[in-house]
Amino acid sequence: MNSSETMLTPYLLTATEALADNPLASEPFAAYHQALARFNSNAEARALLERLSAAQADIRQKQPRNAVTQADLDQLRVFQREVQSNHVIIEYARAQQDAIAYLREINQEIGELLGVDFAALAGRSSC
Amino acid sequence: MTDMLLNELEVAPPSVVKQSARDFAAALAETPQFKAFEEATLRLHRDPDAQRAMDAYQSKQQSLQMMLMLNAVGGADKAELQRLHREFVTQPSIAAYARAQADLMAVCQAAADWLSEAIGLNFAAVCGPGCC
Repeated sequence: MNSSETMLTPYLLTATEALADNPLASEPFAAYHQALARFNSNAEARALLERLSAAQADIRQKQPRNAVTQADLDQLRVFQREVQSNHVIIEYARAQQDAIAYLREINQEIGELLGVDFAALAGRSSC
Repeated sequence: MTDMLLNELEVAPPSVVKQSARDFAAALAETPQFKAFEEATLRLHRDPDAQRAMDAYQSKQQSLQMMLMLNAVGGADKAELQRLHREFVTQPSIAAYARAQADLMAVCQAAADWLSEAIGLNFAAVCGPGCC
């Protein structure tokens, strides 16, 4: 039993398990996990995102020193265009957004019954 | 391809998912922490001293909002804001509300952590109000 489970009453733990199982078997989540699996097994898509992420980090690091060059920006745009035209990445991003939208509907349903925003209460502020 | 793969899976219809959300809400509402939070909220709303202290603090905070953002609040205003904040947080019903909310948040975080691990997405982060 992990630390999360020890905080939950048996009734709440059972309901939490059911709440996890049903969305997982829903269409948006099935599509999301398939898109995620395709993304994870596609080396080119992963490499593209890694390159974009590295270029973004590099520019963020250079910005405070005013050291960003036109070549840095051009390279970033090239990576952005490559990512935007990669079907595996686009499908993955779209499926993830659909799954998130579905989770928000679930959270809204919970909130309507409780009168409080469950996700807001469950959030850990990082500000 | 996607449609074919999806058709091969047993898919939970939205009505089933919504029912599990309602069951979860009912189970959370039954916890001692949620009941204590509801009671504390009610007591806070019915406590005129606490309401006055809260209004006074919030009103002063709002009047200084711009200066606070610029970190340019003067000494007198800062002292007054701190005094109103102390008065606000030491009201018994407000302190009880804060404790009850923290207890409920711990339960919600535990449930959300469990959910997040199972579904592979951070439930609170993707559904919550986001950062400042």
